[in-house]
This record gives sequence, C-alpha cells and structure tokens, in this order.
Amino acid sequence: MIRVGFDVGGTFTDFVLEDSAGRWHTGKRLTTYPDPSDACLEGLRELLAGADVGFDEVELAVHGTTLGSNIVIERQGEGAALATTAGFRDVLQIGREKRYQVYDLQITKPAPLIDRSHIWEIDERVLADGSIRDPLDEDAARDTIREIAERGVTSLAVCFLHSYLNPAHERRFAELVSAEAPEVVVSLSSDVSPQFREYERTSTTVVNAYLITAVRAYLHNMVDRLGGLGYRGRLFIMQSGGGVATAESMADLPVRMIESGPAAGALIAAKFGELSGDADLVAFDMGGTTAKLSLVNDGEPSTVGQFELHRVRLASGSGIPMNVRSIDLVEIGAGGGSIARATRGTIQVGPDSAGSVPGPACYARGGTDPTVTDANLVLGYVSPDRFAGGSMQLDTEAARGAIEAGVAGPLGLTCEEAAWGVHRIVNLNMELATRVVSIERGNDPRGLALVATGGSGPAHACRLAMALGMRAVLIPAAAGVASAVGLLSADVKFDASRSFVARLDTLSPERLGTIYDEMEDEAAKVVGESAEGQPVRIVREVDLRYVGQGFELTVELPGGPVTAAVLEDARTRFDEVYAKRYGFASPDEPVEATTWKVTAYGDSPPLDLRAFHTVAGEASALGSRPAYFPEADGYVDTPIYDRYGLAAGRVIEGPAIIEERESTTVIPPGLAARIEAHGTARVEMTS
Amino acid sequence: MTAPDPITLGVMWGALQSIAVEIGTTIHRTAYSAQAREGQDFSVAIFDKAGRMTAQGPYSPGHMGAMNFAVLNMLEAFPADTLAPGDVMLLNDPALGSGHLPDFFVTQPAFSGHDLIGFAVNIVHHTDVGGSRPGSQAVEGVFDYHQEGLFIPPTKIVDAGTPNEAVIELIAANSRTPENIRGDLGAQRNALRVGELRLQDLVARHGIDVYESCLEVILDQTEATMRSAIEAIPDGRYEFTDHLDDYGPGTDPLVISVAITVAGSSISLDFDGSSLQTESGLNAYLNYTKSYSFAAIKCLTDPYGPMNGGALRPIEITAPEGSFLNPRRPAGGGPRAIICYRVFEAILGAMAQAVPERVAAASSHFSNPTWGGHDPASGRNFVAYELVLSGTGARATLDGCEAMASAFNASNIPVEAQEAVQPVIVERFELIPDSGGPGRQRGGCGIRRDMRILGENVKFTNLSERQKFAPFGLFGGESGALGRTVINPGEATERTVGSKASLDLEYGDVVSFQLAGGGGYGDPAEREPEAVLEDVRLGLVGVEEARSRYLVAIAPDLTVDVDATRRLRTA
Repeated sequence: MIRVGFDVGGTFTDFVLEDSAGRWHTGKRLTTYPDPSDACLEGLRELLAGADVGFDEVELAVHGTTLGSNIVIERQGEGAALATTAGFRDVLQIGREKRYQVYDLQITKPAPLIDRSHIWEIDERVLADGSIRDPLDEDAARDTIREIAERGVTSLAVCFLHSYLNPAHERRFAELVSAEAPEVVVSLSSDVSPQFREYERTSTTVVNAYLITAVRAYLHNMVDRLGGLGYRGRLFIMQSGGGVATAESMADLPVRMIESGPAAGALIAAKFGELSGDADLVAFDMGGTTAKLSLVNDGEPSTVGQFELHRVRLASGSGIPMNVRSIDLVEIGAGGGSIARATRGTIQVGPDSAGSVPGPACYARGGTDPTVTDANLVLGYVSPDRFAGGSMQLDTEAARGAIEAGVAGPLGLTCEEAAWGVHRIVNLNMELATRVVSIERGNDPRGLALVATGGSGPAHACRLAMALGMRAVLIPAAAGVASAVGLLSADVKFDASRSFVARLDTLSPERLGTIYDEMEDEAAKVVGESAEGQPVRIVREVDLRYVGQGFELTVELPGGPVTAAVLEDARTRFDEVYAKRYGFASPDEPVEATTWKVTAYGDSPPLDLRAFHTVAGEASALGSRPAYFPEADGYVDTPIYDRYGLAAGRVIEGPAIIEERESTTVIPPGLAARIEAHGTARVEMTS
Repeated sequence: MTAPDPITLGVMWGALQSIAVEIGTTIHRTAYSAQAREGQDFSVAIFDKAGRMTAQGPYSPGHMGAMNFAVLNMLEAFPADTLAPGDVMLLNDPALGSGHLPDFFVTQPAFSGHDLIGFAVNIVHHTDVGGSRPGSQAVEGVFDYHQEGLFIPPTKIVDAGTPNEAVIELIAANSRTPENIRGDLGAQRNALRVGELRLQDLVARHGIDVYESCLEVILDQTEATMRSAIEAIPDGRYEFTDHLDDYGPGTDPLVISVAITVAGSSISLDFDGSSLQTESGLNAYLNYTKSYSFAAIKCLTDPYGPMNGGALRPIEITAPEGSFLNPRRPAGGGPRAIICYRVFEAILGAMAQAVPERVAAASSHFSNPTWGGHDPASGRNFVAYELVLSGTGARATLDGCEAMASAFNASNIPVEAQEAVQPVIVERFELIPDSGGPGRQRGGCGIRRDMRILGENVKFTNLSERQKFAPFGLFGGESGALGRTVINPGEATERTVGSKASLDLEYGDVVSFQLAGGGGYGDPAEREPEAVLEDVRLGLVGVEEARSRYLVAIAPDLTVDVDATRRLRTA
C-alpha cells in the first residue's frame, strides 16, 4: 500500500512515504507560517517526486498538526460566542479559582477564549436529576439568536447546566439556531463533552467552537489542494487520543485533534517496542524545547480523559482544561535549548528555553545563557561539525564560556563538572516526569523499556534509563521523523460516551445494553465510513468510583450482552485497580458508574517498520573525539559511528557515540548497543 | 556526615517535592466530601525524623504552618522511639493542630529497615464533627471548643497496620456525616501510605546517610535564600491596622493590628493591639495565626523557593496571649478560617510601605457557610459546605484577578457537583459589576452565588466578611464595594443578614452571597482610558462609574471620548 504521513511541528514538518515495494522515504522541511499547508504540499511534492510516485497512486494520506493548539495558544480564533444557562454567564471566567502558584502574588489568570461581551444567557433550567424546572423560553431564545448573528458570530458554543444528563434544551436550541441563523455553526456541550462539572465541559465546548471555523477552512483547503494534485483518497487526521479519523469527522469535533502531533510519537514508540518484543515501555520524545513522556502498557499508549493546554510555567490549574481523550503524556521544559542556571547552591535547568533565536550559546547567534546543548557539546556528546546533519557549525568555546559564567563559576565547579551537572539535572527533570507516567500510574520502571525519539532523546536515553533502573533502551532508526511514521501506524478510531450515574449493584443491565447499542452505532458509523468496509472492533469501558467520591478509575467491560455478572466482575476489577493505585480498596463500599464509553476501531493495514533498515556490510568508526564519562573520571577518546553504516547484529561497546542525521546516541561505558534486524539500536541495562 | 554534591542535592530536592505532590493527588482523587475532592480544602507535607518539614504540596497554606507544630506535638505524645511501621496518629485538638476541630491532622512514620526516616503528613477539613450546628463552624453561642464537636487528643487510629475500628466508629458516630468521615479518613490513610512507600524508595536509592545530609543542606539553603531575600527589604518597623466586621450579630468589630520589624536577615511580626479573645467561635489559635503570617512573608520574599522548616527560621511571630489571634484554651475556633485572609492582608498592608511593588491590595474575601437539615426528597439528613471565592486585590502593575482564591488556596465546588449531592439549586454564579475597587490598577470584582436550599429544618451558619469594613486599596487605590448576604433577593421576604448570622431557613429559601470587591492600587484617574473602556465593554464597569470614579468619558459607540476625558481629568 502506498501511503504518506506528514506531521507539522512548531519548527519542522516531517514526511514519510511507504512505496509499493514497501520502501520508506523520509523528508523534513521548515514549517511555513501563516499557512502550514504550504510546507505540507511542497514537501509532499518533493517526497513523491523523489520516490517516483504520483499523487494518484497514493492510497492513504495521514496528517498530524499542531494547528489546533496554536490557534488557542496564540488566540487566533474569530467569531466565536457562548450561550449558557441564565445566571451562569461567568462560568468560563470564574473557572475553579485555585491559585496555581500558592505564594506568587503577581500571577495572572489566562484570559478566557470567549470574553463576557460574547456570552449570552438563555432562560432554561435542567436540574441534577435531569428533570426540567424551567422550560426553554423559545421566543426569548429566538430573539437572542438573532442578536448573536447580528453581532457577527459565526460559531456558537452552547453549554447548559446538566445537559450531560438531559440534552433536550441544548438540542432544541440548536434547532432554533439553524432556523434563525443557519450560517452559525453550533457546538453543543452534550455532543462535544457529555460530562459533569460545568466549567470543564464549557471550556471543552468553547475550545471546539473557537477552533471550528479555522480548522474547517484549513481541512477543506488541504483536501482541495491534495485533490488538485491528483490524490483520490480521503485525508485522515491524527486525534489527541492516538487514533485517526477522517477530516470530515474532525471538522465537527476539532477539539479532538488539538494535540495531534505528540500522540503520534507515543504510538510509534509502542510499535517499535512491539518489534523488539517490549510491550511495556516509556515513550520518550525530547526535542529542542520540551521532552514528552508517556507510558505504553501492554502495547497500548495510555490515555487520559482530560488535559490542560497552555499552562503557565507548567503549573497544574493554569491552563485551559479539556475533557478530551488524549495520550497521557507529561510534557516538561527539558530540551536541547533549556537554559541552565545556578540557584540555591545547585543547578536548575529549564523550564525556559533559548529557543531557536537566540538559541544556545554554541549556536553563536547572540545567545549567552548556557543550555543543555552547550553542555552536551562541552561533554563531547554532540559533534560541532555534524550537528543537524552538518547544517550548522557549533562554537565549543562559546558553550564553555556560557557554562563557566552561568553555572561553574557560581558553584565553584570546573567547567566539565558543571556541564556534567547540567546533563544530570535535565535528566533528573525527565526522570521525575518519567516517574509521574510510570510509578504514579502504578508501573515499576524496572520492568519497562525506554524508547527514545526526537532530536535530543537518544543523547540522554541511557542515563535516564540507568537512573530509573529501567530494563532496556531502544533507539529506533529514523528517530528524527518518528512522529510522521507514527501517523501511519495509527488505527482508525472514534470514541463515544454517555454520562449516566448509577450504582453498579442496582443498575438495570437491560438499560445499559440499550445505551451501549446507541453509542456503538454512533461510533461504528464514523469508523465504518473511514475504514470502508473493514472490520470494526469495539471496546467498552466504564468510569467507576466508590459512592461519594468525585474521581473515577476506568475499567474495561467485555462485549456482548450486559448482564449482572458482567457488572459484578467490573466491580471486582475496580477494587483491584484501586488498591494497586491508592493503597487500600474498600470492597464493602458501594461502587457507582459515571461515564460509559465505547471506542470503535477500524484496523489499518499493518506497517512494516523493518523496511527502515537496509544496511549491509561492516562500516568502521568514523573517527573519535574526547567525551566525558564520570565512570572514566573524565574525558576519554570515544569512537564515533555512523548509524547508517551499522548492519543488523552489530554490537557497539560503550563508551561510544552513534551519529545520524537527526540525532546522536550516547552509549556510556559498561553498556553496549546491538543493532536489531529492523534497525533499532538496543541497549540492555545490566545492573 | 559529608556534604552532598550539588547534583545529588538537586535529585533529592526534586524527589521530595514530587512525593509531596503525589500525597496530595491521592487525597484529591480518593476523598469523599465535596470540600476535599472539589474544594481541595486539605494540605500535605513530608517531615524528617526530627519533625522538621522537608517538603509540602501546593495546597492550603493555612494548614502548612500549623503542621510544623502539630508534628512536634504529636511526637511529644508519641515519642519517636515508640513508633512502629504502619502506625497512624490523629489529632484535632485546635491548640495542637490547625485551630479548629474539623481539621483532622494525621501522620505516619516511614522506616527504612529499623531506622525512622521521616513522616508523611496531611490535614483534611472534614464536613462535620458534631457540635452545636451542622458543619461545626458555629460563631454565635460558643464559649468553648467543647460545644464545637468531638475533641480528639493525639490518638493512634492505626496500630502497626491494624486500624482501631472502635475509635474510628466512635469518631464517625459523633458526626452528622459519618460516611464522609470514614471516606475522607480513608483518603487520608491512602495518602500517608503512598508517602511512606515513596520515602522508603528514596532512601533505598540513595542510602540513609546521603538522604539525611541532603535534608540538612536543603533546610540550610532554604533558610539562607530566605534570609538574603529579607536582607533586601529595607530595615524598619511597619504597622497596619484593619477591622473584622464583628464576631456575631450585635457584636463589636474586631481590631487586627500588626507591627513588623525587619532587621537585617530576620523579620518579626507582633499582633499586639489586636482585640481580646471572643466569647464565640471566632478565635484563631496561634498555630493558625502563624500559618498565614508565614504564608504572607513567603509571598513577599521567596515565592518560588521551597516551603520547608528552613524557610520559617528567620521569621518570629508573636501575639498577646488572650487575644483573638492567640486565645487561651478552651476558646472556640470553629469558624476561624474567616480570619485567615485578614492576618495575611494586614501583613501586606504593613509591608506595602517597604516593598510596594510586591504586595497586593486587600482581596474580596470569601464565604464559607455551612448548613444542615432534612432533605425530604431523599428522606435523609444532610450537611452542606460551600466555598464562595472571589476576586483578588490590585497589584502595582497588574489588576486584581477575577475569581481567584487569595491566602486560603482552594477551589470552588462545581454547581453540577454540588447539586448532585446536596438538596440545593444554585440560581446564579457571576461577577458583580462595579464592585472592584477603582485604581490605576483595578481590584477584582466580587462574586455572587445564590443558592436555593431545598431542606426542612435548616440550621444555617453564615461565615462571611467585609460587609462593614471594605477591602482596602493602596497608594490612592480605592476600596472595593462592601459585600452582603441576602435572603430571598428580589422577593417579598428579602432581608439582609449579618456576616456571622445563625439562621433557621424555610424550605426553598434562597441565600445570596454577594462578596466584596478587591481593593484598587494607585489613583483611578491614572488608569489608562483604554483599560477603563475594556472594563465597560466587558460589562464589569458601568459608563457612569467610568465617568465618576475613573474620570473617563465613554461615548455611546463604546469608544473613549478623548476630549471629554481630558476635561474630566484636568478639572
């Protein structure tokens, strides 16, 4: 199958193509602004030409994009408004009110995406049991809708209280909008996020409404231009939760594609892990600004039902919350550009980054702050001549000067000690993040492998794994474009859910069966369209808690008829999961369900990642340079290898450095990398 | 003991912090009561074996300072050498803990082999511990803490891993909400266990010597950073006086007076001149007064530095014994939370003279009412807790925040969560226009939350403030609007009640909490006209208010009338 994946990142857009012979072709070019589709189209044209493939031969195109999060972070949305229950105009502004920094009196609250002048109150009221106290005042609603349209609103979020239980008023209101102002696009909270807690539901719906106009225009344009070039298939989009769906379905639920890029990185780590026989692992993607860590359990990246976008200094509670299934990743300010400084008698690295302008001191573009890349250069890990494929010459003296001034001097360390300290502290930050995604989720890192991707990941992976006692490190071939490959590894997938709070021991299995039938029809319809007749797999889940609690744990339910035995079994498994996570279960306490969920999958054709590696022969080392290893008490002459010259089965003993176009792998003394049949460099961590 | 290298130190520091966060997450995710799981009215920390705090989680500072004393008090009752793995100790003695009976302080030792390595600690505010009124926060009619509920001296509730079910049942039986007590105590125990395991891991990885030497350095470094921050503040004596509305209907205002002396790298706070202890629930035991004093000084010195025992060393806090900020036993203390903003803000008011760029004007204050009665729909009795948080005061270069907790750091309870578990309908939840104190920087608006209570025989305890003494502005900034509490607004039975009133409510009565606005900062006539226009456009400031208080003329097409504004401002 001929297919292409293209992933737009903040700096680069990455491309991969699988040709009819199963060969892989990769490409990378700078992301274009304001219209990222320019780079996408140019890059695809170049890639296809190089592979001698016509657009009309491509059977599948999958796209990942940061468009959604960019629009939100840069506040570029236009024409969005919100309609809400009378008395609750300020839900979005009020939020949850907790200080995200306890002791900083100078914090500010991010401005809501929709301000007070574009929020209208509607007379209606549904109660907590779903009953209607005040019917929707349709005459007043029609007047309001006309006023909204006159104000130039093009996209309207609708979030009424308790609509997750009873969506009748929201749905009727949407009908009134299509009658009075058919040009206004409506996002209903009962469709976008049917879950309780009004602020988070409103926020999710507002993000959807905020994105919808721009995302629709972007996707239509992309589909048109691809069609113009001869592409005859459908365009698929990566969702935050790790599945792909058609551009058409994302045009209604753009909030689901807001974290499109990072999801692909986690997926591909899972696939490479599978090839190496590792089903339980941590996906570690470290770039220039941030590192992203996520857990893969039994071959599947773990996901969460809520996340926050655009946090202030990464503080919980400072961002925009969204009830959207997304890969459960922790993103921290730890990348090649992260700035190091001496504080409180020790070294702090990040979370701020020197970015690409002025960049690390060694870029010699005016940057004076010492960064992780400067430290790696001083330590000899990074080549001054072959950085980023040789496109940039690095200034080692500038790096040394910055580290001397910013870290070594104030702490009374030598430059080498300070550089090593920076390397270790950034590893520590990533280690803590890794603990969040592993230990805090109840997974012992000693049983996990670490899959490293991204420009900086392979340089730090072995140390990170050592610190956590992890089992092995895997560095896949083509780590630099791993996210784009990940796009092609994704299943077609669509989620549906219903809020229906009920005690498991008094719930009617028949009623539940009906709810599941409805949801499965809804999700299967979307997936069936996308997968065009391919088999559809359905997974059922339910969120459970002890009666009286406010947060849930998710338990999978079997397919087939819902019976009392199925519910009893779910309860038993809930107790087990709870005890594992929080210490003590309460098997005598009643358990209630809150949200019932299904995910429909359409299985994609399998991806042959083995074809990435086609090297034969025995290349020798490119040369050597001094590199710092504390095990050797300082610098030792370290052999440098070209990744593209290492055939399967080759073993490289540490200390060693393996270079490739997009990244550099550091193998510390005492460890060895073995090149596997599919090209992954595997390092067993012997403790 | 050798000094740890800087890198190991950083590793240890980060690990301690992440353990504290994880303890907090466990409570949040497993608690039962609305105030714990939604309002996050709890705190967590870890301590070393000597009872010194080594890290805390980002929660309510009010518990934080108190924890330092509570741990030492607990160790006095249960000396360290008598403790076994799996022991859990509980206390709610207001004088030994954080100042009122609903706060259950629990701690568990962590051992590495036979060596005690520290303590996991948390405090959760429980819904009801008995006493004269539902919610255990009565103001009126209280002359000692025995009227406020069940009093628990230091007590081992889990003995070497075996829960003392009899004691736990006794405690639950003394509450109007036994399920919440059991559930939240379970969450507290989960969190302690998580903390114990993580501390053990940490010591196993680094060895006990490295761990202990790092703790010394961490405390010393934190103290050193704190001292250098204090040194940067001009030496001097800074005073401030403010008033609380009263301590119940028909009573006098309470004076809160502070004198702060900055001398070199030390700072001392004295609350001499504050009112005598009251014959009501409204008293703050010294631990509580200290908590918010520490929090305020921390904000003004080293806000991003770690909060541990070392940070507290340069700070001395005194209040006259027998004052309402340092009462003698057995004074009541149930509703003492309402005092915390005022301790905090009196300190900001005083320090405005020394560090004007770091302080904030007074915030809106908050309401923390409790009520209980019979729910005819479910046929059960209930107790409800509500937390209405509001805007903050303006800063030197920034407006106050809309809808943001101040000193007492908690979250509001979602309308849909509150309505799902309590017989209540929230009728409105919104900002109050024209309530923020005018200034070059404007104070945050007050918030209004109207709640229709669908209970019979409802005993309601109001706990509000800033209804007689408005939140102060700074440097020419004006006060925010006064708050009020109104029963059945807009109906024939409308009436305003006092900020500490105890009431019997009829089924279906609406209580409207209308909070004060935050204070402004700087002369309102210096506010950028475009900023005033933006407030008008958002409906937070009226056109007339813009003219009369900011001297800005807004034209009917919602633009600044530049000429008219110039005339107003030069008149």
